[in-house]
Amino acid sequence: MSEVKIYFNNIWLAFYTAAVGMRRTFLHLFTPAVTIQYPDVKLKLPERARNRLYVNIDDCIGCDQCSMACPVDCITIQTIKGTPDQDLGTTSTGQKKRLHVPLFDIDIAKCCYCGLCVYPCPTECIVMTDVYEFSEYDRSNLIYRYSIMTPQDIEQAKEKLKKSEEEAAAKKAAAATAAAAAKLAAPATSAPAAPAKTEPINPSPDAPGQAKS
Amino acid sequence: MVLYNLAFYFFSLITLASASVVVFSKNIVHSAFALLFTFFGVAGLYVLMMADFLAITQILIYIGGIMVLILFGVMLTNRTIDVQIRTGSIQTFPAMLIVAALAGTLVGIFWSTDWKISPTAIGFEKTAPEIGKMLLTNYLLPFEIASIVLLVALIGAAMIARREKKA
Amino acid sequence: MIELLKSFLGDSLFVYLIAAALPMLFILPYALVAVLLEMKMAAHIQDRLAYMYTGWHGVLQPVADILKLLQKENTVPHVADKFLFALAPYLIFIGTYAGFAAIPFSSAYIGSNIDLGVFYIVAVSSLVVIGIIMAGWASNNKWSLFGAMRSAAQIVSYEVPTALALVVAVMITGSLNLQDIAKFQAGGIQNWLVFGGPLPLLQKILIMPFTFITFIILFLAGIAEVNRTPFDLAEAESELVQGYNTEYSGMKFAIFYLAEYANMFLVSAIVVTLFLGGWASPFGNALSGPLWGFFWFVAKGMFFIFVQIWIRWTLPRLRVDQLMYTSWKVMTPFLFVCIFAIGLILVL
Repeated sequence: MSEVKIYFNNIWLAFYTAAVGMRRTFLHLFTPAVTIQYPDVKLKLPERARNRLYVNIDDCIGCDQCSMACPVDCITIQTIKGTPDQDLGTTSTGQKKRLHVPLFDIDIAKCCYCGLCVYPCPTECIVMTDVYEFSEYDRSNLIYRYSIMTPQDIEQAKEKLKKSEEEAAAKKAAAATAAAAAKLAAPATSAPAAPAKTEPINPSPDAPGQAKS
Repeated sequence: MVLYNLAFYFFSLITLASASVVVFSKNIVHSAFALLFTFFGVAGLYVLMMADFLAITQILIYIGGIMVLILFGVMLTNRTIDVQIRTGSIQTFPAMLIVAALAGTLVGIFWSTDWKISPTAIGFEKTAPEIGKMLLTNYLLPFEIASIVLLVALIGAAMIARREKKA
Repeated sequence: MIELLKSFLGDSLFVYLIAAALPMLFILPYALVAVLLEMKMAAHIQDRLAYMYTGWHGVLQPVADILKLLQKENTVPHVADKFLFALAPYLIFIGTYAGFAAIPFSSAYIGSNIDLGVFYIVAVSSLVVIGIIMAGWASNNKWSLFGAMRSAAQIVSYEVPTALALVVAVMITGSLNLQDIAKFQAGGIQNWLVFGGPLPLLQKILIMPFTFITFIILFLAGIAEVNRTPFDLAEAESELVQGYNTEYSGMKFAIFYLAEYANMFLVSAIVVTLFLGGWASPFGNALSGPLWGFFWFVAKGMFFIFVQIWIRWTLPRLRVDQLMYTSWKVMTPFLFVCIFAIGLILVL
């Protein structure tokens, strides 16, 4: 093209392309908005959306698996062993609860909403809800405490455990002396049976109130 | 007439005050901006003298054109702020001669001019058509010379500013 | 108008002050409407909703914005030139507001019915350039100064096509008085200068393409003079923060804002008066009269405000060299051709 032709062609293109763009924007003036008035109108979340965690503490058996699965360590669980004479009830799935859960904290500020804690839970008591508006002015308000045990409850549970442990220890001591006596009397008869029976209900002394960082 | 006088003193005050800022200010940018008000005040005085075309031309050319150029010049110069403007007097004797000559001329013009100070001089007429006719008849030569000067300046500026094409 | 006031109040300074304040009564509500229109149009072009809470569909938002700006702290940069910094917004507003004095809002109202109206508006709007340079320099901020320099270069360049386009209208109407120019085009849409004006048919047809080109160039040059997209190099947000008004806040920023919107209307008003009949009704003598005149004038003006906003939210920004190219190599030669052709047609 000659220079003159390019010159006029440029001018024509300037007007033509501007007109195309302006037609487009004019049409968009009358298309309904794609945005919504957020706090008033909310988008429906997908069915498996992962938002705030919720723990149904009644179903929690204190297995600590969610806490171990958490990649950012936002779940803190402490447990106190229940004594054999106590009935801690069963979960909705029919599992027997054996541990008190005096502390079940989720620091939701740390949570990365990966959902990894949800899958290992044997009782399906930790779930991701569709609640996503929970901003706070104070960060400490974002630590959600799910345990429903009062301090008295915890104290009681601890005492009971202590008592039962002492009893168990006494029993064990008694059993040991008995076993020793038996050993003396008849070696290799009932000795293996006694530890096998006592082992599950007699853990190491530091087991109660196992702390997780 | 009170209004007229008020306007006159107002514009005179603006002109004189800003002109003194232009002269006495140590900051060259302040001087340049003060010049704006001087031009503006002078334009106002032109209006009071019924020279509306002249007044508007003054605003257009001096404020819209020359002021912008001056400001560009001042701002594109290195060290605009810390430049020391000397306000002392040197070469007193030649300066006195020149000032005396200039003042003499001005005073002479003041005396010889037939000042229209009576209210009868007031009354708007269309000045633009008259000026146009004059420029294209009686004053055609000065008009054309002025335009040629401008054209030469334009071409010169273009020549200086244009980068040579290295073929 | 001034005569009317004089008959009520006598010849005093008061009369002139009232007459001078009248355009303000128009500008303030207009600016609120224009700001709302701008925001709403921007939002809808981008398929958004914009303000929805203040009043019905957010119509009170501009009022709320003004109240906010009035309360805001008036920050001044520590190293700024305090006096010039404070002066600049007012200078810009004065430059714009002075232009309104010669705008014929209606057949009955024009601030000052001077014979050199067109010329006067071009002249006083150059005060805006000085104000912008002043704001940029006084802020002591490199972005502000860049913006001011660009803006000044741009406005000075675009004054050339603007003035030439005005010359076209003045040649046809034979007057520099905007009221006369508007009167010249009275009597229906066919008499507007875009469509050749009230000339004999043959002349009119010959002249029409040239006036139309001039009209478009005048409007585009006007947009460039008020520094709006696609000619908003002075305020290029993505490059220069906010250009010359970066450092301003509170009331001074509000004045910049007001001046920008007032300037937009001034440009629209000039285009409307020169080429679209000003206050003249498009239906001849029907629906004409002083009040209808005001209505038509504002309606036409607002239409061009609409177009300006529409262009702003459609087109991207020009590059500096493209900007200068448009002014000097496209608009100016085209206008020379138009002036020559129209002169020839009028003489023959």
